[in-house]
Amino acid sequence: MTRDGIAGLICLAVAIGMLVLTRGLPQSSFVPIGPDFYPRIVLIIMVVLSVILIASDVLRKRKSAADTPTGAQSPAEKRNYRLVGITFSVFAVYVVLLPLLGYRLATLIFIAALQGVFQPPHGARGWILLLVSALATTVLTYVVFEHYLSVLLPRGNWTGW
Amino acid sequence: MFELLLAGIENVVHLKYLVPLFLGTLVGLIGGALPGVTITMTIIIVLPFTFGMDPLQGLATMTGVYVGGSAGGAITAALIGIPGSPSAITTTFDGFPMTQKGQPGRAIWLGIWSSCFGGLLAGIFLIGATAPLAAIALEFGPWEYFSLFVFALSMVAGLTEGSLVKGLLSGTIGLAITIVGFDPIMSVPRFTLGSEFLRSGFPFLPVLIGIFAFAQLMTDIEKMNKSEQTNAPIKAPPLTVSHHKVLWEIISRPFLFVWSTLVGILIGVLPAIGGSAATVMAYDQAKKFSKHPERFGKGNPEGIIASEASCNANVGGSLVTIMAFGIPGDAVTAVMLGAMTIHGIQSGPLFVSQHPTIAYGIYAAYLLAHPIMVLICALGARLFLRVVTVPKSMLIPNVLVLCVIGAFALNNIMEDVAVLLLFGVVGYALVKARFPLAPLILGLILGDQIEVNLLRAIMSDPDPWLFFTRPISGFLLALSVGSVIFALWQHRRQKGRVKESEDPDF
Repeated sequence: MTRDGIAGLICLAVAIGMLVLTRGLPQSSFVPIGPDFYPRIVLIIMVVLSVILIASDVLRKRKSAADTPTGAQSPAEKRNYRLVGITFSVFAVYVVLLPLLGYRLATLIFIAALQGVFQPPHGARGWILLLVSALATTVLTYVVFEHYLSVLLPRGNWTGW
Repeated sequence: MFELLLAGIENVVHLKYLVPLFLGTLVGLIGGALPGVTITMTIIIVLPFTFGMDPLQGLATMTGVYVGGSAGGAITAALIGIPGSPSAITTTFDGFPMTQKGQPGRAIWLGIWSSCFGGLLAGIFLIGATAPLAAIALEFGPWEYFSLFVFALSMVAGLTEGSLVKGLLSGTIGLAITIVGFDPIMSVPRFTLGSEFLRSGFPFLPVLIGIFAFAQLMTDIEKMNKSEQTNAPIKAPPLTVSHHKVLWEIISRPFLFVWSTLVGILIGVLPAIGGSAATVMAYDQAKKFSKHPERFGKGNPEGIIASEASCNANVGGSLVTIMAFGIPGDAVTAVMLGAMTIHGIQSGPLFVSQHPTIAYGIYAAYLLAHPIMVLICALGARLFLRVVTVPKSMLIPNVLVLCVIGAFALNNIMEDVAVLLLFGVVGYALVKARFPLAPLILGLILGDQIEVNLLRAIMSDPDPWLFFTRPISGFLLALSVGSVIFALWQHRRQKGRVKESEDPDF
């Protein structure tokens, strides 16, 4: 099973799960169609499309196995999935820290950390550059949004700042 | 209409609007010129800045970004051969060879002037066509609306490259996201799993920002290598050129120019497919109609004119669809639509008549953004090349912070930021599974409207055949079936050649 099949299975599982949830929805006595009417249509279409996707994936697999066992992927460029994982993790930590430390501290840490991950600083100059750019962004966005654009940024529950 | 337009221009010329418009155009030009930052990305970055503004200020800023961004791609495309935004790819074909031949000024100004005139010509279409189209849409009942939205979705699912099933499934996922939350008639909470926050459904903009921003940024991060970080500053060549000659080069090819502009407008009007489709098609057309197709790709001015005129004309076309029907013409207008709803403006056929000041203000901003764009380029096109050297390691963290502000500042709740992250993961996963994102976004935008109109139709008359027997509705549904069949036919014809990209399609 390739990516298509897996994606199809996930969609199928989600659609069926949501279809099960529509069973508990209350009906109205004076409106002919209930709140489950439209969701069911959408979800049934989703089920059908997922099944087609899975089926075509399985069928194509058989066919291509009979022809030539060529992978669709070209090994031309190696993709850095580790970095993607780290970025998502750092971002998730930022989202957790934001309401605890407040915008100013959390953003400072986030920008410094992510930039450090992307380009590990070398020597004192590298570290200074890293901190200065993190500080500059934090201060600049804070001042612009809070003072000029009347957008309130999160305050920290732990720090009160 | 002309009085309204003049009043609109008079309105926007005030510093209160002119400054945001100018800044928007400037940021758009920079974002457009930066390789790896698309216009969609730029507008997402700009979005939080518009929350505190009045509606017209915010929309003027975004219009500026849109116009500037569409032109900005040409700068890097022509001067260093790297498209600043996907829609400028075709500009590199002839723009860069021209620069290599020692005519960088000619290459870039052909692009800028073509963008300007293409955009302005599309502006005439925008102003002329929106009201009549909206008037047609006013005649629509719920049946017609339902069918129109279904048609838009099926067409976009069919037009995207790659598998039709995935396009349709992607659209359905978008619809499925919108069924979470209160139902429109009895306000019964659906699929909330007991969450208080989900009762009103997934908030539109955080979902949109999450999907777009992460799909784009993570794809960039995948390709990041430690070695490419040391960007050498690029020396900009002098861009002096005789503007008369460049203008004459454009004016002396009226057919090419007008035809490219029309292609741009047409692609713009079609929902959810944007600039890159327009420029590729216009370039292709220019080559087909040219007496010397062999000159293309070697610094032919016709290639630049076709590409850039259609690119900015596409902006005008996209604005038509959103102003007349409330359907976004592409990802950028989807964000603009979201911004409108924040300011309490319901887009749709009533928009132009209910909010004439804002509607004509947008027209005026659109028209004024073009000369502003030319002015900024005249002052500092060479400076944009400096910006290109900003390393991605610095850019991406900052963009992510602005995405967070954009999601958070809507309602000042952290749940919105969590939604941003959740759909960031979803968007990236979909790109990895090679799903086109355009249908998903359209489904997301139209989902509530589809449900409301479907229910309205059935409640006013339970006969389901009305969807087929009412002439306009039936015609639209026939078109949607037709578009799916056409897509099937086209895929069959290209069997084996269908390319599925692992990069986001915007």
